[in-house]
Amino acid sequence: MTLTLHHFLILASILFCIGLLGALSRRNAIVVLFSVEIMLNAANLNFIAFWRFGNNPELLHGPLFTLFTIAVAAAEVALGLALVIAVYRHFRSVDLESLNTLKEE
Amino acid sequence: MNEVTAFWILAAIAVIGALFAVRKRNLVHGVFSLLVFFGGLAGLFLLLLAEFIAVVQILVYAGAVGILILFAIMLTDRVTGKDAFRITSRGSFWGGIIAVSVFLVLLLPTIQEIPQVDNPSNSAEIAKQSTVKALGKKLIHPYVITLEILALLLTAALIGAVTAAQGGRTTEKKMSIE
Repeated sequence: MTLTLHHFLILASILFCIGLLGALSRRNAIVVLFSVEIMLNAANLNFIAFWRFGNNPELLHGPLFTLFTIAVAAAEVALGLALVIAVYRHFRSVDLESLNTLKEE
Repeated sequence: MNEVTAFWILAAIAVIGALFAVRKRNLVHGVFSLLVFFGGLAGLFLLLLAEFIAVVQILVYAGAVGILILFAIMLTDRVTGKDAFRITSRGSFWGGIIAVSVFLVLLLPTIQEIPQVDNPSNSAEIAKQSTVKALGKKLIHPYVITLEILALLLTAALIGAVTAAQGGRTTEKKMSIE
């Protein structure tokens, strides 16, 4: 038995759904943020797997796109955590259910 | 140890790390299992012969992002999770259902038969030449505009993060002066 593209695609979809589960079911804003990171990493794994098992690996599209994704994800996490800290300063909590100012009472 | 065994071990590390990261009650433990997940993913990248991406994964995620999240946890409260505070949100049951159904939808195209491309450059041939040099050349020749835009994005994100994180304090100061 050798490694095929399917192994990596199924693993990446499992990881993506774990991240989705975390993003949809946790209350803490920081946990939601790093669940999004897990989903982005699953997408990176797909890029690399398609590069490795696809046509023309010498063009290096997979690693280049993954590099750009990692840079964008780093910018996203820096801004996200800054927003979490700003929200905490304002509401004294990072609980997403207590952020209901816009909600009709 | 052949690469299939390595794949299963690394996949188990990544999945268990991710599961603990999203389900742990204690946030600090969650971040440490997130670091384990990033390490497992870096191993998978090495297995796929993308050694530069594996190193970048360790540097950026395990180094920078992990520490950043730890600092954000320190600056906010409720880290221990010892209280009987509910960690899941309202309607988390539906969140779980949505996650499982998205997984099934993603699985449908995944398990379909992929037309086998005749892949002339198998792993031995890729492994012969390091991808790092070729990546550097690609980043300079066709992708230099993308690289510069990314640098601009990172600078903007840095300035934006500083502004967003300290914005509240300056207004507080102004109000206390008044």
